[in-house]
Amino acid sequence: MPGKAPWKMAVGATAIALLAAGCGGGGSDDASSTSNTVVIGIGEPQHLIPSNSTESNGSEVLSSLFYPLVDFDAQNKPVPVAAESITPNADNSVWTVKLKSGFTFSNGEPVTSDNYINAWNYGAYGPNAQEGAYFFEKIKGFGDLQSEDPDKDGPKKAPEPKAKTLTGLKKVDDTTFEITLDGPFSGWESVMGYTAFYPLPKAAWKSEGVLADGFEDAIIGNGPFKMKGKWEHDSQIVVEKNPSFKGTVPKVDGITWKIYQDQQAEYADLVAGNVDVQTTIPIESLSKASADLGDRFKKSPNSGFGFIGFPQYLPEYKDLRVRQAISMAINRQEIMDQIFLGSRTPATSFVSPVVAGYRENTCGDNCKYDPVKAKQLYTEANGPKELKITYNADGGHKAWIDATCNQIKATLGVNCVGVGEPKFSDMLTKAKAHENIGLIRLAWLMDYPLMENYLGPLYSTTGSSNYYGYSNPTFDNLVKAGVVAKTSEEAIAKWQAAEDILAKELPVAPIYTQQNVFGYSTKVNNVTVDLFQKVDLYKIEVVG
Amino acid sequence: MSDLNTVTAAEAPGGQPNVPHGPVKKDKPRSLAADAWSELRRRKIFWIAIVLVAFILVMSFWPSLFTSADPRACSLSNQYKGPSGSALFGYDFQGCDVYAKVVNGAFNSIRVGVFSTLVAGIIGLIFGMASGYFGGWVDAVLSRFIDIMLGVPFLLAGIVLSRRLSSDPASDGVFAVTLTLGLLSWTSGARVMRSAVISAKQQDYVAAARMLGAKPSRLILQHILPNSIASYIVLLTLLLGINIASEATLSFLGVGLKGDAISWGIMIAEGTQFARTQPWPLVWPAIFLGVTVLAFIMLGDAVRDAFDPKLR
Repeated sequence: MPGKAPWKMAVGATAIALLAAGCGGGGSDDASSTSNTVVIGIGEPQHLIPSNSTESNGSEVLSSLFYPLVDFDAQNKPVPVAAESITPNADNSVWTVKLKSGFTFSNGEPVTSDNYINAWNYGAYGPNAQEGAYFFEKIKGFGDLQSEDPDKDGPKKAPEPKAKTLTGLKKVDDTTFEITLDGPFSGWESVMGYTAFYPLPKAAWKSEGVLADGFEDAIIGNGPFKMKGKWEHDSQIVVEKNPSFKGTVPKVDGITWKIYQDQQAEYADLVAGNVDVQTTIPIESLSKASADLGDRFKKSPNSGFGFIGFPQYLPEYKDLRVRQAISMAINRQEIMDQIFLGSRTPATSFVSPVVAGYRENTCGDNCKYDPVKAKQLYTEANGPKELKITYNADGGHKAWIDATCNQIKATLGVNCVGVGEPKFSDMLTKAKAHENIGLIRLAWLMDYPLMENYLGPLYSTTGSSNYYGYSNPTFDNLVKAGVVAKTSEEAIAKWQAAEDILAKELPVAPIYTQQNVFGYSTKVNNVTVDLFQKVDLYKIEVVG
Repeated sequence: MSDLNTVTAAEAPGGQPNVPHGPVKKDKPRSLAADAWSELRRRKIFWIAIVLVAFILVMSFWPSLFTSADPRACSLSNQYKGPSGSALFGYDFQGCDVYAKVVNGAFNSIRVGVFSTLVAGIIGLIFGMASGYFGGWVDAVLSRFIDIMLGVPFLLAGIVLSRRLSSDPASDGVFAVTLTLGLLSWTSGARVMRSAVISAKQQDYVAAARMLGAKPSRLILQHILPNSIASYIVLLTLLLGINIASEATLSFLGVGLKGDAISWGIMIAEGTQFARTQPWPLVWPAIFLGVTVLAFIMLGDAVRDAFDPKLR
């Protein structure tokens, strides 16, 4: 039968193809099947829309999918990347961005000024409730995009804002646009390096200002990688090389962002070679990490700053003495030595040492362990008999929170419990709803290397990450004054004055400043983790 | 009527001071329980189990007899210190006294074990009794339901149920775990009860009582229940041990007891994380858990052997 032979052959070929695919998919060590891709561990991102992503997991994934306007050099100075040039006017209040031409989104759409303007308008528009809306605050017309809810959490809906677009954004031509700020701000270029300032393609919109359904799960960016398939929630996000990308080309062909609920499991996978990079080795495994990983266990500076927030909406923490007492009851050095095994350092200020304007010991006595004074203040203020510290169980915080609680118990003679919320996002949702979750464990990684980034988002009344509801008009004004200052020296002076207010009022108890404590598998090389706790995706490469 | 109740009553010591020695006793008709007791008395394993169970019970209700240390007073300065006079088993990662924690953890294990077994016991009793006594379509429906319940994977259902029941992260989870274990562990007991009731129902004395006009309630409570409950109680003793182990399992997985509660399961979970650095905080609660479960299972085994003539 002449017709049969090709059919048979086809079956045979398919079988071989399937076999080969099975081999590669199983992640075997067979050199012929190892592709030029890496697996990097993360936690489940809250969101993947640039303007809605203010936590490290989401912004790390987005950094592979998008190409920022500016990046930072070794001295933390901004360098234009997707932008050809960024030029301010004389008083730093109007900035002209000229885009490099020839860049496209991974779906082939050219990147134009409109992509930036539309994305930013969406991010700033109040009813969209974007976590990163704060970043657009300085652009002219931001106020008109917001509206006040007349009865706060009540049933009445907020009225429609006056405008839908920022008056401060003006398209000059397809590759040039102008940003007019509310006032002068010399650090604006640095701010634009943040995730929220990525552009969105036309494909993102269902209609003007409305995101297309499911866009977040299959987001399209202008970066070196593009999504392969969809965001598999709680499992993984796979990205592959974007062939049409014109910028600096990474050395790897793809990245699998593997999502873990548990850092210990991630570490076990790292040792077993199932994950190639872990940016934070859990403290439970620190003592064994050198033995397990040898010189693949590394440390590098990062911008992390950990603290415990005192919710201002809970009456029991209204008294300053209570906050001081709790802060003084914590023996930070002991926790750093015994729990973090020296991988973190006690925080003595409200900003990280990596930014200009940092001063040591601004927190002063409030951050010094002083059990006698703590007990005395607490008794005087008649502090609460029961304390709880809510932390997210998916971030490796249990050990230090338990230790902190034990110190508070021992020093103040009150009960203290650590309550683990399964996910970080659950905890933030509860904090936002002003539920009584007690003290809140939080940390901050900077978005852009300015001192302001440690102040504005965390403590200003409308700050995006002000989960404890701190509000002080003087503070807000000082931060704003620093923002509009002509020179960076002047700005820093204002911000330092703002920091001094924090030291007096203690809305949070600073606990630690962080280092990257990361590890990688034998499969990869040239792994660096930057100040933002992100893996440098342009440097990492596969061995052999 | 060789009714268990009446015979036990006749044998009750109070009214008969002149029951002397051997020969008289031999002639007396002995009930199943009395028979079992005389069998049990001679078994070493029974006494070992009893001593262990008593020890654990005392420990869980009066931990102060064993230690005066506060299990929640932990200090990092004691991290991983070895055993000493003040802390018999040394200290764990957080600098807590392992011995004090183990001793105080017994209460939660026993509490969850006993109450979940009670819940399971009552549900199983009702189901087994109803399907065995009424038979017919009632039996068919209930038995199929039991089959369905038996088909549910225990651990999966336990995790799901326990999570749902204690969604508040601030609760200690005791109620949720007790209910979870109770709701999931009654099935085998119900089956045993059903077959015991079926065989008791067919006895002549039940038929006689029915002919004399006894109502179903009297039949069940006076005649069938007392004669079918023995094996059920034995099963519950075994179940108690199993439920204690299940509590530790759920706590280990992070869906059982939590927060401030001290539990062997939580201790084991925490100990595991640092086991490569310091194994003892893992080993001690594991030993106590093992011994407790073993004690209840040994007790159940011994009692079952004594009650079942075929195993003698």
